[in-house]
Amino acid sequence: MNKTVRKKPRYSLMARKESITAYLCLIPAFIGLTFITYLPLAGVFGIGFFNWKGLSAPVFIGFRNYIRLFTTDPYFIDSIKVTVYFAVLAVFGSMIYSFYIAMLLNREIPARGFWRAVFYLPYILPAAAVYIGWSWLYESNFGLFNYFLSELGINKIKFLSDSLYVVPSLALIAVWTSGNLIVIFLAGLQNVSRVYYEAALIDGANAFQRFFRITVPCMTPIIFYNLLMSLITNMQVVVPALALTDGGPGNASMFMTYLMYRYAFKNNHLGYACAISFVFFVIIAIFTAILFATSKTWIFYEGDSK
Amino acid sequence: MTKLNTMATAGELPDTAIMSEAGVLQWASQGMLADISDMYGAGESKPLDSLAFRYQGKVVAYSVANEILMLYYNKDMFDEAGVEYPPLSKEDAWTWEEFIEVAKKLTKDKNGKTPNDPGFDPQNIVQYGCLVENLPWQLETWAISNGGGYYSKDGSEVIIDRPESIEGIQKVADLHLVHHVAPLSTGATDDSIQRSIIARTCAMGTGGQWNIGTCLASAKEEGLNYGIGVLPYMKEKVTLCTGGPNVVFNQTKHLKEAKEWLKWYAKEENSWGLIESGIWMPTLEKWYTDETLMRKWVENPNFPPFDEYKKCVIETAKDMSITRSASWYYVNNTNDFNDLLNSILGDVWTGRTTAAEAITSNIEALKAAFRGE
Repeated sequence: MNKTVRKKPRYSLMARKESITAYLCLIPAFIGLTFITYLPLAGVFGIGFFNWKGLSAPVFIGFRNYIRLFTTDPYFIDSIKVTVYFAVLAVFGSMIYSFYIAMLLNREIPARGFWRAVFYLPYILPAAAVYIGWSWLYESNFGLFNYFLSELGINKIKFLSDSLYVVPSLALIAVWTSGNLIVIFLAGLQNVSRVYYEAALIDGANAFQRFFRITVPCMTPIIFYNLLMSLITNMQVVVPALALTDGGPGNASMFMTYLMYRYAFKNNHLGYACAISFVFFVIIAIFTAILFATSKTWIFYEGDSK
Repeated sequence: MTKLNTMATAGELPDTAIMSEAGVLQWASQGMLADISDMYGAGESKPLDSLAFRYQGKVVAYSVANEILMLYYNKDMFDEAGVEYPPLSKEDAWTWEEFIEVAKKLTKDKNGKTPNDPGFDPQNIVQYGCLVENLPWQLETWAISNGGGYYSKDGSEVIIDRPESIEGIQKVADLHLVHHVAPLSTGATDDSIQRSIIARTCAMGTGGQWNIGTCLASAKEEGLNYGIGVLPYMKEKVTLCTGGPNVVFNQTKHLKEAKEWLKWYAKEENSWGLIESGIWMPTLEKWYTDETLMRKWVENPNFPPFDEYKKCVIETAKDMSITRSASWYYVNNTNDFNDLLNSILGDVWTGRTTAAEAITSNIEALKAAFRGE
């Protein structure tokens, strides 16, 4: 009886010491998160309830910013649609493209290091330069792509100037720049145990079966990670609108981040822009939550007991 | 602008500043700008009247430079096609129809055929006749020229939905869509002259006077043979002028000194580099009336020949019967309005919709933007 009583405080003392160390170590990260992430987030939420144009004092207007967003705002609803449309195209496009390229680069091909560098390169190029370069290829009147099309006798396509084509055209650039996904896929592929493939070969499984029954299931954790990162990155898309389209033609590339930027820093509607950014935060959170909720049903962890 | 906002909120604004055109009336309407109507005395040469920003009748800013919209053309391309050069003065200005006819002669498909020839292939045009800049603030020229405008003359009302305004805008879109004499341009960038006559893709282009200094002077050194002309017109002969505004903030404790300083600072001699290079035009009236000053300003290799420039630019800029201030001189919220208009017209340039349909279905949103809602 006595022994047990004495034992308890001894363990908790140690635990307490350890936890103090842990908290001390966490302080820098905690300060960073608080001041750079959570307080601004709370600030954005708060300012979203004010009419604040930067000059005169903010006026509290309750939910009026939010009401305007969903009723009379000429851009906002379109902006959600095009952002989601772009994200879906860019995420699925870059997942399929990166996975495929990673599979190729995982083979015994000559000059493998060189090819890996080639496919990674677009990711590290300065974004503005990449978009300006593509804009010359896409140019509606004299661009290179349209030159090839006209040589083939096909009518010109207004890649960036036609509201129908602008988002797919921009998504293609995003796919091209997804070199980071390739690297992560490649690392994942190298971790898939040879043993399974050998066993499958002995059992007479063909390449398709090996791909869908071994590679894909073993890669699901990596696929999930890439899907999540790619989704968040592509939902936050802003550079193409800034560098190329100004959100146009019409509202066809009025991505949410760009709309927020424009309201806040070009037109001085700071309170309103905060409301947009909060709605945007909620939308990304919903998409992430959906992804996490469904993940249990399709991710396979090797160490998992289930 | 962001920096000025922060300083204004903190009450730490400087006494004076040069700010963005579209910001002036916004700041004035919030009581941030001082009335500088009396900055120039009775005997002094004042800035051209078109360069005064007015809020409720009071002058709240003068432009530090002048700029007008005009026509540029590539002389070599005109010579190749054997077409007469565009006119230099408003008396001879081309009508819109004449402009289109000339542009047709300068447009070629890859077989060398023009839109007037049978078998012309609009899908394979290698050279266009013209590029009319359609950035919203410049596009207003054509709404006005056709007898309408974006706003009434006193800036109190939106009139962009009037048939003549709509038709003026549609006529600009039709250069590409109907007449095939202009490339597709979606009003997103401010580089019409680089894209057209310098790149040799179009024989004529419209743009601001600043192009002489910002790109044409260096292109000329590299062999570009260009000329200048007045804008064509639809019903009224018109061009717009603009220029970055100098303001005095109301927070200043030294209003008199601030105005004195601004007047000195805005003197042509103090920005001579920009004027001499052809980027800025002077603002004070005397530069537009005194031949000696004009020669001092224009007679250097950055400019077209003196007589041509005088006739085409100087005479136009001081003639208030054709030169109108851009709308941000007297209308608030032009940024919001122009952004929305640019967005609305996106599908007009490609022909997916018409100017009439686009503008009438969005007129309430445009009016709300004008009111700053």
